[in-house]
Amino acid sequence: MKTIVVLCLLFTMSFAAQGAEFHITIVTTSDLEEPIRGQSFAGIQTQVERPVHRAAELALFESKTIYDIFGIKPELKALDLDSSVDYQSQLATISPNSLVIVDTPEEPFIELANTLNKLNLVTVNVRHSNPDLREDLCLGTLYHTIPSDRMYFDALVQFLIFSNWRKVLVVHGPSSIDQARTKTLVESLSKFGADISDIREFSLSRHPDDRDNNKPEFITGGASYDVVAVIDTARDFGRYFQYRTRRPRPVVGDIGLTPRGWHRTLERYGAPQLNERYRVFDDASVLPASEAMSDSEFATWSAIKLITNSLNTIGLNNGLLDVAAILKNPDAQVDLYKGTRGSIRGWNHQLRQPILLTTADAVIAVAPMPKFLHPRHYVDTLGLDEPESSCRLDRVE
Amino acid sequence: MIFHRKVLQTASLVIAVFGSLAFQAVFAFEAYITNERSGDLISIDEEGRQIHSQAICKRPRGMVKGLGAHQLLIACSDDNKVIELNTQTKKIERTFNELYGAMTLAIHRPTNRLFVSNEGGAQATVVDLISGNALAVLPTGLEPDGIAVSDDGATIYVASENAGLVHVFDALSYEQTAVIVTHLRPRRVALLGDQLWVSSEMGSRVEIFSTTTFNKIDEVIFAPKGFRIEQLTPVDILFDKTGNLAFVALGAANHVAFVNVNSLEVEKYILVGRRAWGLGLSPDNESLIVLNGLSDDFTIIDIASRRPRVTRQAGLIPHAIEVFE
Repeated sequence: MKTIVVLCLLFTMSFAAQGAEFHITIVTTSDLEEPIRGQSFAGIQTQVERPVHRAAELALFESKTIYDIFGIKPELKALDLDSSVDYQSQLATISPNSLVIVDTPEEPFIELANTLNKLNLVTVNVRHSNPDLREDLCLGTLYHTIPSDRMYFDALVQFLIFSNWRKVLVVHGPSSIDQARTKTLVESLSKFGADISDIREFSLSRHPDDRDNNKPEFITGGASYDVVAVIDTARDFGRYFQYRTRRPRPVVGDIGLTPRGWHRTLERYGAPQLNERYRVFDDASVLPASEAMSDSEFATWSAIKLITNSLNTIGLNNGLLDVAAILKNPDAQVDLYKGTRGSIRGWNHQLRQPILLTTADAVIAVAPMPKFLHPRHYVDTLGLDEPESSCRLDRVE
Repeated sequence: MIFHRKVLQTASLVIAVFGSLAFQAVFAFEAYITNERSGDLISIDEEGRQIHSQAICKRPRGMVKGLGAHQLLIACSDDNKVIELNTQTKKIERTFNELYGAMTLAIHRPTNRLFVSNEGGAQATVVDLISGNALAVLPTGLEPDGIAVSDDGATIYVASENAGLVHVFDALSYEQTAVIVTHLRPRRVALLGDQLWVSSEMGSRVEIFSTTTFNKIDEVIFAPKGFRIEQLTPVDILFDKTGNLAFVALGAANHVAFVNVNSLEVEKYILVGRRAWGLGLSPDNESLIVLNGLSDDFTIIDIASRRPRVTRQAGLIPHAIEVFE
């Protein structure tokens, strides 16, 4: 029996099964990758370092039913760049109207984003939470599906305020990235009216002269606080803070209660089905139950699913899957399995989404926290809001 | 004085006991509720008082009344089966196995068929309730949830949450005859005359499609006070006995909406518990029971006055409700 495809949106049926193409390219620079080990010489791994490819495959696996109905043929390519050769010539091989997912370190990322913008290719940041990439880079073709640090820290601070843990002692590492992220945390603390009891820099030296700054017990002494917020991007020292603070107080930030985009223990909103599917969808490489998508993987999955879900909310454009047009359409929405759908912020192209406040084996809360209200979008209390952002991509054109 | 008080206490106890006995004999309805996390089944009366409770299976979710007057069919998702409970003896009388991730149930009594959405697989299963055999497996998109069959038994509708589709199947040949593209995360499907109502949990709306052309006729957008549109995550849809009023549980918006079926106007929003999703209607059409999935309770609403009457504790994650006379 013939199957009738019924589209209930305001567009014609002329596209039916014409075979709209959907090109996705994952760009990496494997010769520039260094595992994140911080200053630890023992090779201790503290963060997931899995390529995002599996998450892209998962998103396409999930999308198969609706792609078949719309006659969409997806093509997922991997482009590992040679950093010794000019990037532009290598990137020029990417098909126009592709979704380009860039999973590289930050330095090449900035150059690649600029080059891809020149080539007019839609680029997705799935790795870097640095707010500067949203504010200063501010490119018309660049989108961010990984949350920004402002979103992560706003979520964390909302939780602190909600819990009435208002007095926060901030301890950060000496690296420039730790200092920059500390500045972002302080902005979040100020935004929601937390009380900063002190900001202290941890020393990695074990020299006795430095002991006021290199022992968790000492660096958390001589101050009154409800909670210690630790910024330690490379996971050099923060791991040793819990149970070693001078006062018996919770530790949050990069350690302890941590804001995340995704987590393997989210129990609601269909998340168990997504986590299970991530592990088992590929018969050839089933992962153990302890594995789940990292935030970068989830960001990759989100980017592709945003395009997939646009078939439901927008539809095809004259039989074509126009990636650039979809992302500019305010009806581009994605079911994120986090209880609230995601969509793109017009001003800086950040994917708005709930943030999970997690421990190693539990999701403690899903932000926005109750009573943090926004006049327009429920989740826009997280991250740089329209009036705060210096990037105004919605006004360009 | 002390003696006197004791007499009074005893007297009031006697009255209470007799009162409740007399009451139990005449309660207006008995509503069964599955609790997906605690794995039990409870029943309540019209005042929300618990009548019965029993451990039932792993992750009990969707329910439907069986062929007999006292039969209740329950989907046991993590046991991959559907069980048939006798509501008088409280005994499980039959088990239908190999129903992977059974979630939501529908029944067509004239043809003795049960329709099961298999959330864990991308399919729905048609079961012959007499023989217990599977008659057909219907392939769907991922995470099928809502399932409905037309009164004439000719058409089956299955919503795929992940794909954002309602699959339409011929209930005789079991061939797919149409696919309806919905807004994000379609959860429940409800038939009203020649209309198919579909709740879109992540699209924050109820979409209404024609069952003859499958075109979209209209949609209902909700706006209870104090909530942004993304927080409106509708799940269950139920029509009252007159067919003039629809009830929609609004999920994270913690309200249930009373929708005028003719004008599609939302006539009333009633605040209930957290993540309102399951709905049940009393046989006398006077009470609406709302299950609140995040606050582990249920709210009974007086439909005529449009006011909540009582909210009481349920088990862990109350999911579905079936109301018996």
